Amino acid sequence: MTKKSAILHFGSDLVDKPIISGLIRNYDVSVNILQASITPEEDGTMFVQIEGEHAIVQKAFDYLRDHRVDMIFPAKNLIWDDKKCVDCGACVAHCLPRALTVDGSGKLQFNSERCIACELCIPACPYHALGSVSEHLS
Amino acid sequence: MTKTYEEINEKIKNGKAVVVTAEEVIEIVKDKGAKKAADEIDVVTTGTFGPMCSSGALLNTGHTKPRMNYKRAYLNRVPVYCGVAAVDLYIGVTAMPDDDPANKVFPGKFEYGGGHVIEDLVSGKDVVFEATSHGTQCYPRKEITATINIRDLPSATLLNPRNAYQNYNVAVNAHAKHPIYTYMGILRPNFGNANYCSAGQLSPLLNDPNYRTIGIGTKIFLGGGTGYVFYQGTQHNPEVPRNEKGIPMGGAGTLALVGDMKTMSRRYIRGVSMTGYGVSLAVGIGVPIPVLDEEMIASCAVSDADIMAPVWDYSEDYPNFQGKPIAHVSYAELGSGRINLQGREIETASISSMPMAREIAQTLKKWITDGNFLLTKPSAPIPGTGSGVKYHPFVERPVKGNK
Repeated sequence: MTKKSAILHFGSDLVDKPIISGLIRNYDVSVNILQASITPEEDGTMFVQIEGEHAIVQKAFDYLRDHRVDMIFPAKNLIWDDKKCVDCGACVAHCLPRALTVDGSGKLQFNSERCIACELCIPACPYHALGSVSEHLS
Repeated sequence: MTKTYEEINEKIKNGKAVVVTAEEVIEIVKDKGAKKAADEIDVVTTGTFGPMCSSGALLNTGHTKPRMNYKRAYLNRVPVYCGVAAVDLYIGVTAMPDDDPANKVFPGKFEYGGGHVIEDLVSGKDVVFEATSHGTQCYPRKEITATINIRDLPSATLLNPRNAYQNYNVAVNAHAKHPIYTYMGILRPNFGNANYCSAGQLSPLLNDPNYRTIGIGTKIFLGGGTGYVFYQGTQHNPEVPRNEKGIPMGGAGTLALVGDMKTMSRRYIRGVSMTGYGVSLAVGIGVPIPVLDEEMIASCAVSDADIMAPVWDYSEDYPNFQGKPIAHVSYAELGSGRINLQGREIETASISSMPMAREIAQTLKKWITDGNFLLTKPSAPIPGTGSGVKYHPFVERPVKGNK
């Protein structure tokens, strides 16, 4: 099984097309939509995690590409700036999927695989060390 | 065997002092016993790093030409106190720009304030200074707008009225049905998390619980440079009930600290933004404790399991100054990531940084081991139990003539 996160950008000609619906009907994948928005210019942005058999996930992304959906694959769903982080741990209790944890020595660890980009940790950080991908993109 | 400050300093100068951190000493005393450990070890170093709101910087800009007596002043738009002499300024870490939106859109972000100005100054960044005055015959100038930098200031002194709290509260949200935004961080409803803020077994005053060696004049690590304890901190309260080991069961002693900002580094002086609450400054502090005798090393061997912190409800009890702690939990439990409270498992989060506290204790250890940092004997102690010094709440008396 593979889980891959992507920021999808739908041009104004695509926003009224049921592209995600087609994706789910045609491929055996789970799609978790973490964030979706349409701008006043009628462009659409969606942050998704697609999970399924490795080869099928590849095909699912090919399908999106064929439908002229622009894609960005963030290395991490959340931007953690370890230069600003002081390893206090104020964020960890707000990270329900336990992507942010402290190890035995108290050092902060970020497991991007577990992150669901809920962004609850961002306001909990007193040092501006956590930022969202979407904020980063805008 | 007992040791004097002079003997310990002699060893430091000769590169022969044995120095360990307040964490390393725990195992040593467990293995060898206090007597043997006290013979072998000369100094124990402590450390702490966390937001300390009662902090600020005393700056002197040097006189302008023509001369000016600042009456209203700003650094990077953050208001600065100028009710002192002509070109002296004090910037408190919780000061916010006059036009900061604060909590108008709740919860506010509090992106920049006094603590961030101090971080910028320590980093060597340029800062915009603006001031106005009424003008006098000896100080005629009425306004100035200029770029300043710490290297151009005749003096920049960190002057903190209350730091290094000996123990502190654990904060929970017991009653509100929504998250609350406090100086202890975000507290989720229904006991969603428990936030704490102390370096526990590494914390300076928890290793010298009766203030035997930490007193007025004690030389310390402050913000990456050197500083001194100049008095007990405000709200110093040695009379807080203590456990059988003599450790206060809540926030008790505090220290007032001073140091030259020009020797400090941004790594240990960081602006803090507490969402929905305000701005502050995280300060790194390390205090060396001379091992004068067996009793001294026994108190340095305190471990997180022995230090109990009170759990307070920050949704109703703390803000209304009412009630009592829900429970007491040890720093060992807090550090494990969860505490058990009234049958519930609650996730904990630390507001102070243990890795930074460790790094500070190790850095101070190196300074002393290398012979670059000598210990000072306090010129006077800070008040302990039985001294009569006690903190009490505000005594509110009505103003005469007001109904």
